[in-house]
Amino acid sequence: MKVKVDKTLVASIALHVLVLGWGLVTFSSKAYVAPEESLPIDIISTDQLAKMMAGQKTGEKDKPKPKVEKIAEPKPEEDAVGKVTEKKELIKTNSTPEPPPKPVEKPVEKKPEPPKPVAEAKPKEEPKPQEKKPDPAKEDPIAELQKKLDTKKPPPKPVEQKVAAVQPQQQPKPKERTFDPAQIQRDLDKRAATRHELAGSALNASASLGSATGTAANNVATWRGAFQGAVKRCFTPTYNGQDADQYEADIDIPMKIDGSLAAEPIVVAVRGPSRSIAQAVAESAKRAIVQCQVYSFMPKQQYESWKLIPMTFGLKDML
Amino acid sequence: MTSEQKNFAMNDARSMNRRRFMTVTGSALAMLGGGHAFAQGQPRLRIDPTEFQPVPIAITNFLPGSPSDGDVGNGVTQVITNNLKRSGLFAPIDQAAFIERISNIDVAPQFQNWKTINAQALVTGRMTRQPDGRLKAEFRLWDVVSGQQLAGQQYFTSPEYWRRIAHIISDQIYERMTGEKGYFDSRVVFVDESGPKERRVKRLAMMDQDGANVRYLTRGSDLVLTPRFSPNSQEITYMEFGQGDPKVYLFNIETGQREIVGNFPGMTFAPRFSPDGQRVIMSLQQGGNSNLFVMDLRSRSTTRLTDTPAIDTSPSYSPDGTRICFESDRGGRSQIYVMAAGGGQAQRISFSKDDTNATYSTPVWSPRGDYIAFTRQGGGQFSIGVMKPDGSGERLLTSGFHNEGPTFSPNGRVLMFFRDPGGNGGPSLYTVDISGRNELKVPTPGFASDPAWSPLLSSTAGQ
Repeated sequence: MKVKVDKTLVASIALHVLVLGWGLVTFSSKAYVAPEESLPIDIISTDQLAKMMAGQKTGEKDKPKPKVEKIAEPKPEEDAVGKVTEKKELIKTNSTPEPPPKPVEKPVEKKPEPPKPVAEAKPKEEPKPQEKKPDPAKEDPIAELQKKLDTKKPPPKPVEQKVAAVQPQQQPKPKERTFDPAQIQRDLDKRAATRHELAGSALNASASLGSATGTAANNVATWRGAFQGAVKRCFTPTYNGQDADQYEADIDIPMKIDGSLAAEPIVVAVRGPSRSIAQAVAESAKRAIVQCQVYSFMPKQQYESWKLIPMTFGLKDML
Repeated sequence: MTSEQKNFAMNDARSMNRRRFMTVTGSALAMLGGGHAFAQGQPRLRIDPTEFQPVPIAITNFLPGSPSDGDVGNGVTQVITNNLKRSGLFAPIDQAAFIERISNIDVAPQFQNWKTINAQALVTGRMTRQPDGRLKAEFRLWDVVSGQQLAGQQYFTSPEYWRRIAHIISDQIYERMTGEKGYFDSRVVFVDESGPKERRVKRLAMMDQDGANVRYLTRGSDLVLTPRFSPNSQEITYMEFGQGDPKVYLFNIETGQREIVGNFPGMTFAPRFSPDGQRVIMSLQQGGNSNLFVMDLRSRSTTRLTDTPAIDTSPSYSPDGTRICFESDRGGRSQIYVMAAGGGQAQRISFSKDDTNATYSTPVWSPRGDYIAFTRQGGGQFSIGVMKPDGSGERLLTSGFHNEGPTFSPNGRVLMFFRDPGGNGGPSLYTVDISGRNELKVPTPGFASDPAWSPLLSSTAGQ
């Protein structure tokens, strides 16, 4: 018996299957991946990459220890084995079990009454400005100038100048309650710590051997770029004149492990045609370093490598 | 030579040795101080800001010593704020953003309040009228970041000179923050122009560098051109069209007296003082040509500096007085030349790379000696620019329909020039810093041209 196959039907089925299959693959749901935060990057050579990814050759393969960050307090060992305690007999009593605590009644929240319309709203007083703004400097009118022309004014007398005897500054009065945004920020940061250090019998900072990160943690390029960017943000030198590219200030920055300054930045050397300008460049640099602290992103495990950061501040691209 | 210039010259001579010492000492210290870092093979991190940002500075109202001193206190604050803002190096913070109100300048401010508004420096001050009628001005400049006082001074003056006190304080702040001398306590002499274009009245006028305190020095009956300040700032030399040929005159600002410079048969023009103020260099017309002459103001003797069948004009001394720059068309077109102050072989320094037909004129040597400013005409535009004395590093700062006549501020950081927009209008004065970034109009009562900046009036500023 010969079965007659409708070619158009076969073609139709085949096309439908193709379309449905394509649809299933294309419109399948995908998990939303949040965009990663941008990170400062440094361009490194292939050799450096290979070194980072190589892992530690001296590592042991067989006995990976769990990652710990802190050595635990030594505890007296208890000899749990062979310690037999007699089984206590259950004592039966007739006392009825205590009733479960009653659910605490929720205090009914009192809804605030909607504000009633006021019959006559009093006009609000304009807030007074804190400080009186300076009046614009009075311009001499031309009429006055013409007058001056006729009656020739004697030239300005030399101004007497005395170096102000800088009085010993009085201690500021006890603080009144002032608006301090930094204090508010500090208060907000006093949240309960959600992460505790892992404790173990011995320190073992590397959890794995030859992992994807390899020796990336030891790559100083990461913090160097971030530190450069952070300080540059605050560096506003006041010179953009001739030979700007010749001005440089070498400054060493003593750091604490928390990313703050351990001491005032040390000006090691200044260079440039004018010493006073070079000194001003160094002062701008010091201001930038102090202003932009705390550099909390600095990796603590590499503290030894950035305990003292040597920096050079220049004006190469200022003109 | 003034004491300041002597110091400059001495410092210049010492600077080489000092530079070597600084570099060597710096290197040694670097090896000692930075030994720890170098031991680990750590190269120095380097920061070079790619764009210039003005320094945020908070300038509080100067407190009145008595209730009647409020206006003068506010006025001083306004002048200082205006000066620092116009310099382009500082960004005064709007007082509306201030968190703390200074009530006593003798008490250290709460620096956290000023850090919050991103101020790097803070200025506080007080104006008090004394029992003898004088005005006492006090100010303090604070480094907000370190909490240190950077400068603190007090001055006494007659009440009518309160603006000058404000300029002197501005110079102090500028110098302490930048390491360079300021330029605010200085004046500008210029040609005031009034009336319709075909009957323009031109008078010599003088004002503070910010456009205030305008004084007219001549009545406008005769045409005046190219006024130039003497280094001692008591005298002006200029060219005047009176009876007969135009002549170069000396004018004493204090006494109002004027005298003709030399008695030459032809027209004399384009005068300028030597840096010591003892000589005047100028052009003398001889037929269709003009040559450079210098006249000793004490002996009244004249010396010819050039002798060419060309137009040599607009001479200007280098700050050390050893060389002059001038414009000459001896090569066919007007170009800038440099030669020894006593005459001799002149060397052309202006060579336009992009426009071979461009001409250069009105050269003026910077008081610092590092640049020569000029007017360049080419491509249908007039530009103001600067180049190094050897002709290298040419940079145009502004261009337009008509810009001309640059003059340097006393510290060599800013140029003033005049711009004529064409049409029925008239010229106005403008300033631009030598980076070309900060161009501003200078307020004048009417049209104004041919500005000449005075030296710094107070040599004590910055001490």
